Amino acid sequence: MLDFIIGKYNYWIYIVLMMIGFYAMIGKKNLVKKIIGMNIFQTSIILFYVSTAYKKGGATLPIIEHAHGHSEHASHAIEASSYINPLPHVLMLTAIVVMVATLGVALAIVLKIYRRYNTLEEDEILKAIK
Amino acid sequence: MKIVNLLVVIITGMVLAYGTMDMPDWGDPDSPASLHVSPGYISDAVEKTATPNIVTAVLADYRGYDTLGETAVIFSAGMACILLLRRKRKK
Repeated sequence: MLDFIIGKYNYWIYIVLMMIGFYAMIGKKNLVKKIIGMNIFQTSIILFYVSTAYKKGGATLPIIEHAHGHSEHASHAIEASSYINPLPHVLMLTAIVVMVATLGVALAIVLKIYRRYNTLEEDEILKAIK
Repeated sequence: MKIVNLLVVIITGMVLAYGTMDMPDWGDPDSPASLHVSPGYISDAVEKTATPNIVTAVLADYRGYDTLGETAVIFSAGMACILLLRRKRKK
Protein backbone atom coordinates (compact mmCIF):
# COMPACT_ATOMS: atom_id res chain seq x y z
CA MET A 1 0.00 0.00 0.00
CA LEU A 2 2.83 2.40 0.90
CA ASP A 3 4.66 1.50 -2.31
CA PHE A 4 1.49 2.22 -4.22
CA ILE A 5 1.17 5.69 -2.67
CA ILE A 6 4.86 6.48 -3.19
CA GLY A 7 4.64 5.39 -6.81
CA LYS A 8 1.53 7.41 -7.63
CA TYR A 9 1.43 10.45 -5.37
CA ASN A 10 3.09 12.79 -7.86
CA TYR A 11 0.28 12.14 -10.37
CA TRP A 12 -2.26 13.02 -7.68
CA ILE A 13 -0.49 16.30 -6.97
CA TYR A 14 -0.71 17.22 -10.64
CA ILE A 15 -4.38 16.25 -10.71
CA VAL A 16 -5.06 18.53 -7.74
CA LEU A 17 -3.20 21.37 -9.45
CA MET A 18 -5.06 20.75 -12.70
CA MET A 19 -8.42 20.74 -10.93
CA ILE A 20 -7.57 24.06 -9.25
CA GLY A 21 -7.00 25.52 -12.70
CA PHE A 22 -10.14 23.85 -14.07
CA TYR A 23 -12.26 25.25 -11.26
CA ALA A 24 -10.88 28.72 -11.92
CA MET A 25 -11.76 28.33 -15.60
CA ILE A 26 -15.37 27.25 -15.09
CA GLY A 27 -16.23 28.78 -11.72
CA LYS A 28 -14.83 32.29 -11.74
CA LYS A 29 -16.58 35.26 -13.32
CA ASN A 30 -13.52 37.45 -13.81
CA LEU A 31 -11.83 36.95 -17.18
CA VAL A 32 -8.28 37.43 -15.88
CA LYS A 33 -8.90 34.79 -13.21
CA LYS A 34 -10.12 32.43 -15.94
CA ILE A 35 -6.93 32.98 -17.93
CA ILE A 36 -4.70 32.42 -14.92
CA GLY A 37 -6.67 29.23 -14.26
CA MET A 38 -5.93 28.09 -17.80
CA ASN A 39 -2.25 28.82 -17.15
CA ILE A 40 -2.26 26.72 -13.97
CA PHE A 41 -3.94 23.91 -15.93
CA GLN A 42 -1.25 23.96 -18.61
CA THR A 43 1.53 24.17 -16.03
CA SER A 44 0.24 21.04 -14.30
CA ILE A 45 0.32 19.16 -17.61
CA ILE A 46 3.90 20.31 -18.19
CA LEU A 47 4.92 19.16 -14.71
CA PHE A 48 3.27 15.81 -15.36
CA TYR A 49 5.15 15.25 -18.60
CA VAL A 50 8.50 16.28 -17.13
CA SER A 51 7.94 13.92 -14.20
CA THR A 52 7.42 10.97 -16.56
CA ALA A 53 10.95 11.57 -17.88
CA TYR A 54 12.56 10.70 -14.56
CA LYS A 55 14.28 7.34 -14.05
CA LYS A 56 15.33 6.01 -10.68
CA GLY A 57 18.72 4.40 -10.21
CA GLY A 58 21.38 7.03 -10.88
CA ALA A 59 20.11 8.48 -14.14
CA THR A 60 21.34 12.01 -14.80
CA LEU A 61 20.38 14.86 -17.11
CA PRO A 62 20.27 14.01 -20.82
CA ILE A 63 23.68 15.51 -21.58
CA ILE A 64 26.16 12.89 -22.74
CA GLU A 65 29.32 12.88 -20.65
CA HIS A 66 32.72 12.86 -22.40
CA ALA A 67 31.11 13.50 -25.76
CA HIS A 68 33.78 16.00 -26.67
CA GLY A 69 37.39 15.01 -26.67
CA HIS A 70 39.36 11.98 -27.73
CA SER A 71 37.91 9.09 -29.56
CA GLU A 72 38.67 6.47 -26.89
CA HIS A 73 36.18 8.20 -24.59
CA ALA A 74 33.49 8.42 -27.23
CA SER A 75 33.96 4.84 -28.34
CA HIS A 76 32.36 3.17 -25.32
CA ALA A 77 28.67 2.51 -25.60
CA ILE A 78 26.12 4.96 -24.14
CA GLU A 79 23.76 3.29 -21.69
CA ALA A 80 20.18 4.49 -22.14
CA SER A 81 19.42 3.72 -18.48
CA SER A 82 22.01 6.21 -17.20
CA TYR A 83 20.28 9.25 -18.76
CA ILE A 84 16.72 10.38 -18.13
CA ASN A 85 14.26 10.45 -21.02
CA PRO A 86 14.92 13.60 -23.13
CA LEU A 87 11.77 13.50 -25.26
CA PRO A 88 9.24 14.82 -22.69
CA HIS A 89 11.58 17.74 -22.04
CA VAL A 90 11.68 18.63 -25.73
CA LEU A 91 7.93 18.33 -26.17
CA MET A 92 7.26 20.47 -23.10
CA LEU A 93 9.64 23.12 -24.41
CA THR A 94 7.31 23.33 -27.41
CA ALA A 95 4.27 23.33 -25.11
CA ILE A 96 5.71 26.20 -23.04
CA VAL A 97 6.07 28.25 -26.22
CA VAL A 98 2.44 27.60 -27.15
CA MET A 99 1.38 28.39 -23.56
CA VAL A 100 3.13 31.75 -23.59
CA ALA A 101 1.63 32.59 -26.99
CA THR A 102 -1.92 31.76 -25.88
CA LEU A 103 -1.44 33.67 -22.61
CA GLY A 104 -0.23 36.77 -24.44
CA VAL A 105 -3.03 36.78 -27.00
CA ALA A 106 -5.66 36.07 -24.34
CA LEU A 107 -4.46 38.94 -22.14
CA ALA A 108 -4.43 41.26 -25.16
CA ILE A 109 -8.04 40.33 -25.97
CA VAL A 110 -9.03 40.88 -22.33
CA LEU A 111 -7.41 44.30 -22.37
CA LYS A 112 -9.40 45.12 -25.51
CA ILE A 113 -12.61 43.97 -23.79
CA TYR A 114 -11.81 46.14 -20.78
CA ARG A 115 -11.30 49.22 -22.96
CA ARG A 116 -14.66 48.64 -24.65
CA TYR A 117 -16.86 47.71 -21.65
CA ASN A 118 -14.90 49.08 -18.65
CA THR A 119 -15.35 45.82 -16.77
CA LEU A 120 -13.90 42.32 -16.69
CA GLU A 121 -16.80 40.59 -14.96
CA GLU A 122 -18.49 38.13 -17.28
CA ASP A 123 -22.10 38.80 -16.25
CA GLU A 124 -21.69 42.58 -16.55
CA ILE A 125 -20.24 42.16 -20.05
CA LEU A 126 -23.15 39.91 -21.02
CA LYS A 127 -25.58 42.52 -19.67
CA ALA A 128 -23.86 45.26 -21.65
CA ILE A 129 -24.01 43.24 -24.87
CA LYS A 130 -27.80 42.67 -24.67
CA MET B 1 -24.19 27.19 -9.26
CA LYS B 2 -20.92 27.14 -7.28
CA ILE B 3 -21.85 23.69 -6.00
CA VAL B 4 -22.36 22.38 -9.53
CA ASN B 5 -18.94 23.68 -10.58
CA LEU B 6 -17.28 22.13 -7.54
CA LEU B 7 -19.06 18.84 -8.19
CA VAL B 8 -17.94 18.76 -11.83
CA VAL B 9 -14.35 19.49 -10.78
CA ILE B 10 -14.32 16.81 -8.07
CA ILE B 11 -15.84 14.17 -10.35
CA THR B 12 -13.31 14.96 -13.10
CA GLY B 13 -10.47 14.77 -10.60
CA MET B 14 -11.67 11.41 -9.32
CA VAL B 15 -11.90 10.03 -12.86
CA LEU B 16 -8.34 11.21 -13.53
CA ALA B 17 -7.13 9.72 -10.24
CA TYR B 18 -8.75 6.44 -11.23
CA GLY B 19 -6.81 6.66 -14.49
CA THR B 20 -3.51 6.85 -12.61
CA MET B 21 -4.03 3.32 -11.30
CA ASP B 22 -2.76 2.00 -14.64
CA MET B 23 0.15 4.45 -14.89
CA PRO B 24 3.71 3.22 -14.26
CA ASP B 25 5.22 4.21 -10.93
CA TRP B 26 7.13 7.47 -10.69
CA GLY B 27 10.75 7.01 -11.75
CA ASP B 28 10.26 3.45 -12.96
CA PRO B 29 13.16 2.77 -15.40
CA ASP B 30 11.08 0.09 -17.17
CA SER B 31 8.11 2.35 -17.92
CA PRO B 32 6.91 2.21 -21.54
CA ALA B 33 7.89 5.85 -22.14
CA SER B 34 11.55 5.14 -21.43
CA LEU B 35 11.77 1.81 -23.28
CA HIS B 36 10.28 2.35 -26.72
CA VAL B 37 11.64 5.42 -28.56
CA SER B 38 13.97 7.34 -26.27
CA PRO B 39 16.88 4.80 -25.99
CA GLY B 40 17.46 5.26 -29.71
CA TYR B 41 17.73 9.02 -29.29
CA ILE B 42 20.04 8.72 -26.27
CA SER B 43 22.45 6.29 -27.94
CA ASP B 44 22.51 7.86 -31.43
CA ALA B 45 22.33 11.58 -30.69
CA VAL B 46 26.05 12.25 -30.29
CA GLU B 47 27.00 10.13 -33.27
CA LYS B 48 24.40 11.64 -35.61
CA THR B 49 24.30 15.27 -34.53
CA ALA B 50 27.60 15.82 -32.61
CA THR B 51 25.63 17.55 -29.84
CA PRO B 52 26.14 16.26 -26.29
CA ASN B 53 22.89 17.82 -25.03
CA ILE B 54 20.18 15.51 -26.31
CA VAL B 55 17.39 18.02 -25.70
CA THR B 56 19.14 20.49 -27.98
CA ALA B 57 19.85 17.79 -30.54
CA VAL B 58 16.20 16.73 -30.72
CA LEU B 59 14.83 20.29 -30.65
CA ALA B 60 17.11 21.85 -33.23
CA ASP B 61 18.20 18.89 -35.33
CA TYR B 62 15.74 15.98 -35.38
CA ARG B 63 12.74 18.29 -35.05
CA GLY B 64 14.15 21.37 -36.72
CA TYR B 65 11.06 21.99 -38.81
CA ASP B 66 8.91 21.74 -35.70
CA THR B 67 11.00 24.47 -34.10
CA LEU B 68 10.64 26.56 -37.24
CA GLY B 69 6.85 26.20 -36.92
CA GLU B 70 7.18 27.17 -33.27
CA THR B 71 8.81 30.44 -34.22
CA ALA B 72 5.89 30.99 -36.61
CA VAL B 73 3.54 30.50 -33.64
CA ILE B 74 5.46 33.07 -31.59
CA PHE B 75 5.51 35.48 -34.53
CA SER B 76 1.77 35.21 -35.16
CA ALA B 77 1.05 35.63 -31.43
CA GLY B 78 3.18 38.75 -31.35
CA MET B 79 1.49 40.12 -34.45
CA ALA B 80 -1.94 39.40 -32.95
CA CYS B 81 -0.96 41.27 -29.77
CA ILE B 82 0.29 44.25 -31.76
CA LEU B 83 -2.83 44.38 -33.94
CA LEU B 84 -5.14 44.12 -30.92
CA LEU B 85 -3.39 46.60 -28.69
CA ARG B 86 -2.41 49.41 -31.08
CA ARG B 87 -4.24 52.65 -30.65
CA LYS B 88 -5.91 54.17 -33.67
CA ARG B 89 -4.13 57.19 -35.06
CA LYS B 90 -6.09 60.42 -34.71
CA LYS B 91 -6.90 62.03 -38.04
